[in-house]
Amino acid sequence: MKTMLFEPEAKQAQQAQDSGDEYEAVEGLDRAAIECQRSFEAVAAKKTASDYSHIVWAYGVLWSLFAIYGVLLWRRGQRLRNDVQTLRTRIDSARSRPEST
Amino acid sequence: MMARTLPIILLLFAAVVFPLSVSTIFLDVGIERQLGTVQKIFYFHVPLAWIMMLYGMVCGIAAAVQLRRESRMAEAIAIAAGEMVIVAGLGVLITGPIWGHASWGKAWTWDARQITTGLLWLVFVAYVLVRRYGAAGSERLAAALAIFGAVDVPIIYYAVKIWKTTHPSNDVVATLPPEMWAALWPALGALLATATAMVAVRARQELAEMDLDDAWVEAEDIAPAAAVMVKGDA
Repeated sequence: MKTMLFEPEAKQAQQAQDSGDEYEAVEGLDRAAIECQRSFEAVAAKKTASDYSHIVWAYGVLWSLFAIYGVLLWRRGQRLRNDVQTLRTRIDSARSRPEST
Repeated sequence: MMARTLPIILLLFAAVVFPLSVSTIFLDVGIERQLGTVQKIFYFHVPLAWIMMLYGMVCGIAAAVQLRRESRMAEAIAIAAGEMVIVAGLGVLITGPIWGHASWGKAWTWDARQITTGLLWLVFVAYVLVRRYGAAGSERLAAALAIFGAVDVPIIYYAVKIWKTTHPSNDVVATLPPEMWAALWPALGALLATATAMVAVRARQELAEMDLDDAWVEAEDIAPAAAVMVKGDA
């Protein structure tokens, strides 16, 4: 099984060697440098993700506060309108009562 | 007529400017070198603090006018501005620690600006509670509280100069690069327009409530039995 898996790679390597087209290591990008770069990228990505989570919470809280206050104002307005209407109706009926009797 | 349309105009303005401000903050302005992406909280945290301080001053001045002249309009403005200090102050006291947690590694450092801001918020909570639940004549005590709160506003501003704090100095905002100002203005505009619209609506409601109280008194004069009956129903 193991041989089967590695066979094509070994074959390719042999073919490359035969044709003189050998693998050349890229200068400056050795394994240690790449791992170091990736670890920096992971740290930066983690920080950015954490920052965005903080931003979402901050903006969410901020606009929720305004929305909640807006709803409270709207409800207070409704209550006031109902109070005015009730008062108007009762005053009208109280005024018309003595006239009718 | 103007009192009716002003909040609508302001809210429409905020509805247009708010998406513009979000797009400027997240798409146009670069990431700040020292604080990173989380610095973008600044564009809403700082205007919110300015709004809190502005309405703290408005409430204090209106309360002083109310004490001196017994003006209903001043009273209504003081109450509306006091409530806005609570809303904006709560926003500042929540978004600040969120930013601090990401930047300083600690949400609350007990620095002078945080303490004075917390104090301002508590004073205005006390003001609104006294206004709402205080006995007859308590409006004078409430007005005194509002004036005391307004005195705290300059202390918040100068706290970073007087004491050693984790907050940066006031010069930071003045020396912002133009691209950051371009993002700060729309955010300030959207928040200030929303806050002012809400203060205007609340002040009108307060005036309407005062008129309604007068109407009840008149109703008792016209038809005492009917008025008592209605009050019992309500």
